[in-house]
Amino acid sequence: MWNKSLLVMGTVAATFACTALKAEPTTYPLAIENCGQTVSFDRAPQNAVALGQNSAEILLLLGLEDRMAATAFWPNKVLPELEEANSKVEVLTVEFPTLEAVLSKQPDFVAAMLVTLLGPDSKVAKREDFEALGIPAYLSPSACSTAKNTTDAYGSRDDLWTMDLLYKEIDDLSRIFDVADRGAALIADFKAREAALRAQFASNDDLTFLFWFSSPSPADDAYLGGGNGPSGYIADVLGGSNAVKTDAEWPTLGWEGIMAADPKVIVVAQVDRNRWDLDKAENKIAFLTSDPTVSQMEAVRAGRIVVMSGASMNPSIHTLHGAEQVGEQLKALDLLQ
Amino acid sequence: MTTAETERGTFGLALLLTFGLVALAFAIAVATAIGDYSIGLGTVFLAVTNGLGLTGAEISPIEQSVVWNLRLSRALVAALAGAGLSICGAILQALLRNALAEPFVLGVSAGASTGAVSVIVLGVGAGGLSLSLGAFAGAFSAFALVALLSNGATSGPNHTILAGVAASQLFNALTSYIVTTSGNAQQARDVMFWLLGSFGGVRWPDFQLLLVVVVVSLAICIWMARALDAFTFGDEDAAALGIPVARIRLVMFAVTAVLTATIVSMVGAIGFVGLVVPHAARYVIGPLHLRLLPACAVVGAVFMVSADIASRVIVAQQTVPIGVVTALVGVPFFAIILYRARPQP
Repeated sequence: MWNKSLLVMGTVAATFACTALKAEPTTYPLAIENCGQTVSFDRAPQNAVALGQNSAEILLLLGLEDRMAATAFWPNKVLPELEEANSKVEVLTVEFPTLEAVLSKQPDFVAAMLVTLLGPDSKVAKREDFEALGIPAYLSPSACSTAKNTTDAYGSRDDLWTMDLLYKEIDDLSRIFDVADRGAALIADFKAREAALRAQFASNDDLTFLFWFSSPSPADDAYLGGGNGPSGYIADVLGGSNAVKTDAEWPTLGWEGIMAADPKVIVVAQVDRNRWDLDKAENKIAFLTSDPTVSQMEAVRAGRIVVMSGASMNPSIHTLHGAEQVGEQLKALDLLQ
Repeated sequence: MTTAETERGTFGLALLLTFGLVALAFAIAVATAIGDYSIGLGTVFLAVTNGLGLTGAEISPIEQSVVWNLRLSRALVAALAGAGLSICGAILQALLRNALAEPFVLGVSAGASTGAVSVIVLGVGAGGLSLSLGAFAGAFSAFALVALLSNGATSGPNHTILAGVAASQLFNALTSYIVTTSGNAQQARDVMFWLLGSFGGVRWPDFQLLLVVVVVSLAICIWMARALDAFTFGDEDAAALGIPVARIRLVMFAVTAVLTATIVSMVGAIGFVGLVVPHAARYVIGPLHLRLLPACAVVGAVFMVSADIASRVIVAQQTVPIGVVTALVGVPFFAIILYRARPQP
């Protein structure tokens, strides 16, 4: 029900955005500032390769599947609503691809998610490799903000992560492909959804979240979502805060430390890989409720355990989906007045 | 050693070098001809001759670039890296009188990790320092620490090995500390990915640099080959033969450190080659370094280029880490040598 109203709101917002923010068509040649470099485009790409899940999903959200030659590097499953569009685009590999495989698709544009996929020290490709062939390349602004110099234009990771860099990426890519109005609509949709969540969940100082990504075994320290990362952002959108305050993006903490942090709500991630038993949300819940010590935590005893897709804990378009997922389950709990 | 034996050894070396160089040329040709991008053999040939400036044939710029800039430079760097690591292994096995010695025994790869992590996570050098330079600096500081701990490398071989172990532990701990306390997981993952051995990132400038370093190192080592032979009998015997033990040891350590650090900072830590190739070459050609070192260089080069070909074709569209392949391909091969070299009852 709530989901449906959200959808309606989103659609309304998007429609509104389409009419109100009717963007200018791109005039070529177009010059885009990207990670301190100027990338120029003579025309809209027709045969793009997306290196990295987030770059691919943004292009798919912009409805560009017909202009994509291939994608590579998928740590997680594709967003459910993009499954159909994504099935039309070849996946080179879910791992790091080779530059040869990328070039064999004769790309006229390459968009990359990480510096390991496109960067001076990358073992996959360097910007110059594509430049020399007249192929423009674009690196996610989120990736350059994590690069060596943290005091650059993209701000420091000492602050809470926000969607701003993602919006910049969507805006850049939509202008590159001459679909700026779709980009503006997408950004407006994301903003509306974030605002809808914030409107529903008033700020609540007592509401603290633990984001449990995974653990190699119950006895090991748990991999958690850190204070200022996307997990912190999800907590913030839902009016609360991350019970783990550390600056590290993926801190590890033993169960004694977790119990001392005493979160109000435990968010267990469903991680779509098969590395460890505790990647699965159901196994996490089984451990939380059966371990003689951990099951005594207030959040566990009160049944305040919610499930979220693990992909949301990475800085990506999945993050807002995670916030919505948690928000929906939060409403069923006894926490909200 | 009798004259007859010397002659036989020289003949053996000539045979091995001839055979090895033919095999190397063939391996490099194969490495240049195959890949994810299927390009006809004729086009590959023209792309190479175009690159050499011999022809000016009209071929697609992407295909030209794949063959010339990606495949050929990669194959040549792999050959040099294999040669370099094998030479280092042979020298360290002689200096340390330890069959288990290999290029990373002096903590060089651990130091390289720390250097790379410092650059990318801590921002040492404020963005002006590349990952490779950071790794090189780290590798060399590890070596300097080992030299210091073992009294300028003048004390015995066991002392040096222990110092190397200590330095490795120290630098690994530093790397882990920086990674676990860093605010950004992505950077940490970037570094770890970078440190896995791979030839994916190499281009022509890497080849030029590595060519100079490998050729100069090999020349110095061959120049000192007779002194290296003397080390096999122990420091005191070597000194009795009039060899300036401490000086030669330090020079040799420095050469291997520069060579290993350059390779690690370019293609990451690639194990097994430096350990196994010297043993294999010694089995075929004997222990005299004047012959052993060129043999190691050629065998190491052929082995590494072949391993890189395998790493590229095992899984389509992506690359298997080269270290995995060197071990998978190398161990069975080495097992045969070990088996055949077993003491006769």
